[in-house]
Amino acid sequence: MEEAKAYIETGILELYVLGQLNVTEQKEVEEMAANYPIIREEINAIEIAMEQYAVFHAIKPTSGLENKIFDKIAPLSATKSKENSSATVPLYSDHSASTIRSLRFALVACIGLLILSFVALYAMNDKLVVANEQIVSLTNDKQKFASTVSYMKVANKDLQEIAAITGDPTWTVVQLGGTNIAPKAKMKVYWHKSGHHVMVDNTRMSLPENDSKHQYQLWAIVKGKPVDLGVFDAESQPAKLLLAMKEVGDAQAFAVTLEKRGGSAVPTMEKMVVQGAISI
Amino acid sequence: MAPNKKISLTEEDLVRALKGKETIAIQALYDMYSGALLGVISRIIQQPEVAEDLLQETFIKIWNSADSYDSTKGRLFTWMINLARNLSIDKLRSKDFRNSNKNQDIENNVDFIDSQRKITFNADTLGLRDMVTALKPEFNDVLNMVYFKGYTHVEAAEELNLPLGTVKTRIRMAIMELRKHFN
Repeated sequence: MEEAKAYIETGILELYVLGQLNVTEQKEVEEMAANYPIIREEINAIEIAMEQYAVFHAIKPTSGLENKIFDKIAPLSATKSKENSSATVPLYSDHSASTIRSLRFALVACIGLLILSFVALYAMNDKLVVANEQIVSLTNDKQKFASTVSYMKVANKDLQEIAAITGDPTWTVVQLGGTNIAPKAKMKVYWHKSGHHVMVDNTRMSLPENDSKHQYQLWAIVKGKPVDLGVFDAESQPAKLLLAMKEVGDAQAFAVTLEKRGGSAVPTMEKMVVQGAISI
Repeated sequence: MAPNKKISLTEEDLVRALKGKETIAIQALYDMYSGALLGVISRIIQQPEVAEDLLQETFIKIWNSADSYDSTKGRLFTWMINLARNLSIDKLRSKDFRNSNKNQDIENNVDFIDSQRKITFNADTLGLRDMVTALKPEFNDVLNMVYFKGYTHVEAAEELNLPLGTVKTRIRMAIMELRKHFN
């Protein structure tokens, strides 16, 4: 206790409060203050006196300085965020709440509809693909039918013409029979003598099918000499039933030889498959 | 300081708020002590604008250094006034400040400031003015040099051509005298 009093009387506590001591001296005072409550109290009393002395000599700062300081420290403040987070209270809270709720429902409904639309779109797209395929196949069918119909029209017309020719006495029907190299071969040629028309009837033809390098060639025997009447093919399914050949007005017989494709200028006699004389 | 209805907190609450970085702490400290701090600063630095800049710096330093304040070592105000005084003395001794301030007589700071500035005395302490000015000048001068003019007690001893022990005694006597009047 005596030690504490003596310490107080040195005046070191006043210097401590006035910030006049170096770090070592400060620590010494702080240790003494921790050990002796009376020293702690003495320091406190000196501090309060100096505080009041300072307040007594106070000078009021100009107004506005306060705000400058707050502006500088506010960004570093912990309370700032709290103050800013205060919620705005809506004026018609009930109304807006129900509006938000109905908007939410509307949003959900919209999303639902959107999903449905996508599903429907996908399904429709599927059907569209199927429909497109059907259209393609139908179009193909239609083309087939159309070509069949047009073929049948042509065929029908040919058949009618054949019927007309065979019933018409101005037309001469010439039967051509097989030769030695093709005994079973036969065919019919219609000849209109005054009109010089020559027709080959594919419906009544029975010739061996020719290959792609050869063709049959029809000849008319005029005054003992062969006259070229054109080439034709022997097919199982001929494109035309009635074939118009080159014209001839004066013939004694007809013959067909197998020649190279496109025909020859002179008949190859050993390749003669059918022949027939005109019987008038 | 004029009586006011501004923010005033207990020392404990103040310290807690300050260390918790709550702006209310600075608001309270400003309301309670800005005048006292500026009083000290203004007597070390005469130019009002520079003094107020330093007051601003002091509060920012208080805010930023709050963690280094230890309440077991002393009162918050003592810590604050020492921050303010140190900032002011640093400014006073800085080269640029000395150059712009050559012609000022540092000796008469207190009288000069008191004659230039409007001092706001607390109504409760009006009677104290006579008392304080009635302090024995030889004691008071030493205290004012250290407290208000930025002298160290060693510099004061040299300036007054007194032994260091005498300076210490006079400071103690002056404060004893103050305590008698204030308590």
